Amino acid sequence: MKKILVIDDEPIVRTSCVRSLSPEGYEVKSASSGREGLELLENEPVNLVLLDLKMPDMDGIEVLKTIKNRWPETKIIMITGYSTVETAVKTLKLGAFSYLEKPFTPDTLLETVKEAFS
Amino acid sequence: MKNIFRHPDKSLAAKLIIAIGLLMIIGSFTFWYVLLHKQKKDIIAIAVKYGGSFVEFTRESARYSMLTFRREATQQVLENLSTPEGVQSVRIFDHKGRVFFSSHKEDIGNSVDKASIACKGCHLEPEKSSALLPTAQKWTIYESRKGFTALKVIDTISNEPSCYTASCHIHPKTQKILGFVEADFSLALLDEALFKQGLALTAYVAIFVLAVSASLGIILYKLVSKPVSELAYGMERVSGGDLNYSVPIKSMDEMGVLAKTFNSMIKDIKAARDQRESWTRTLEAEVAKKTEEIQKTHASLIQTEKLASLGRMAAGVAHEINNPLTGIVTFAYLLKRSAPPDSATAEDLNVIIEQAERCAKIIKNLLTFARATPSEKGAININDVLNRTIYMLQNQEKFHNIKFDIHMDDTPFITIGDASQFQQIFLNIFINAADAMNERGIITIATRKIIMDNKPFVEIEFTDTGCGMPEEILGRLFEPFFTTKPVGKGTGLGLSVSHGIVKHFGGRIDVKSTVGKSTTFFVRLPLIEEHL
Repeated sequence: MKKILVIDDEPIVRTSCVRSLSPEGYEVKSASSGREGLELLENEPVNLVLLDLKMPDMDGIEVLKTIKNRWPETKIIMITGYSTVETAVKTLKLGAFSYLEKPFTPDTLLETVKEAFS
Repeated sequence: MKNIFRHPDKSLAAKLIIAIGLLMIIGSFTFWYVLLHKQKKDIIAIAVKYGGSFVEFTRESARYSMLTFRREATQQVLENLSTPEGVQSVRIFDHKGRVFFSSHKEDIGNSVDKASIACKGCHLEPEKSSALLPTAQKWTIYESRKGFTALKVIDTISNEPSCYTASCHIHPKTQKILGFVEADFSLALLDEALFKQGLALTAYVAIFVLAVSASLGIILYKLVSKPVSELAYGMERVSGGDLNYSVPIKSMDEMGVLAKTFNSMIKDIKAARDQRESWTRTLEAEVAKKTEEIQKTHASLIQTEKLASLGRMAAGVAHEINNPLTGIVTFAYLLKRSAPPDSATAEDLNVIIEQAERCAKIIKNLLTFARATPSEKGAININDVLNRTIYMLQNQEKFHNIKFDIHMDDTPFITIGDASQFQQIFLNIFINAADAMNERGIITIATRKIIMDNKPFVEIEFTDTGCGMPEEILGRLFEPFFTTKPVGKGTGLGLSVSHGIVKHFGGRIDVKSTVGKSTTFFVRLPLIEEHL
């Protein structure tokens, strides 16, 4: 079973992801901050991380860099409020697989996740 | 004229008149004195001459009686001769000074004063020796006891053969001088004449001095004092600030030249002052103009700042709203999956999803407005972008009843920017125009080159034949979320986004509207140099 970690400071976004992906057969965990997410990863590595770009304690870019550095195999999909071309390019260059614009539908989310695992 | 003598120390003319008057008085009196003295001298010389003749005449008259030794006859002659008014006395005395005959009998037998001219006329020191003076002085002028000037003339009676041969044998042959004839004349008449003449001369001099001083005074007053005081008055007026005053020029002399020079100086000063004043006025106008410009810029800055802060706020809000929207969309989807397809519930959930997506679209627009990062920046031809936009619109149903009246300048207007963003701006304006005209009417499009702040710009004009807008709407046109369209039709972001983009590329959007007639939008973008 593929393991997915959602890191977002917004509970509704985390819940949405869990409720969209769990029925599809993924094991979804969630963290409310970058620090908490990294702690969870220390205990149990995952296959994919859904990572919010804008968070209060630790910036999404920073978390992305750390994950890519320590767990290079882990795939990352960035979640952005409204991405500009520059930010998108930047995150992709840093090793993110793709990015999702909020608000996203469960269909779009699933599609992107599937792409990441294919 | 009175002023001249009221304060002589303050008047040039008075000083001059006084000086000239004094000089004239001194000169005249010197002349007067010399003249009188000379006259007196001449008259005395005449008197002496006549006096001499009289003495000679006396001697000759008494000669016979003396030769014949008739003493009474001699005395009688002297008495007779002294009768005329001017003759004071006549006497005869010998060399030793004894008076033998005199017109005044009481005098006979007296001795002549040795200190008198009778002795001193010939002798150096009559009391001590018989030494003679080199030239004899036979007359003298003296002040008589009665108060008038008197003349004393004296002459010798020389020894002659008839004398020492006379029968009386009184005089020896060796005696050279037998005696003297002396006569005193009153010069009272002379005194009177001289006094009268002196009086007349004094009167003449006084009148002359007065007349000359008065004439000089008048001349000086007319030629110097009056023009000078006029000049001084003029200077006072000018220093008091009246530069329109000019001193009257009445003569061509130095005073006239001075007045003329003064007038031309005042004219120059006035011209300089006028020029300075006109500079001040120009400067004031310039300052007012600049102030107005600054105020306009300030107002525009405030507007920009207002828009920017609104933008920042909107962006923050938009980001926050995206999160609950994600939840709404996700859970609506999840519910929809569990509902039977085409059921009423599924339809309702679709409405939720659609509306949530509409929210997402609004937010996306809002964030476009807030964000000022150009995506594709490059040199673009405004005419091409416009033509593409119009071509695209002509096939739209919304524009089927709208006529496009195109007046584009053939020159390519090259500006730096993002073609798709500009297209979005133009599209927005066209849609607004169509809405304002109820999708029926004419849209005029024109492009032209203009100069703004000394820089070349392309001006794109869009004029519709729509309903127009009142002043209060025009003022809020570029505010985000401001819309006049019915709910659900407009976001109120189109023009604010357009404004942000145009501003970003150094241009501006202006609008002009007449209610019930038309609205014109002017989009002005800077042209790049090499295409001028």
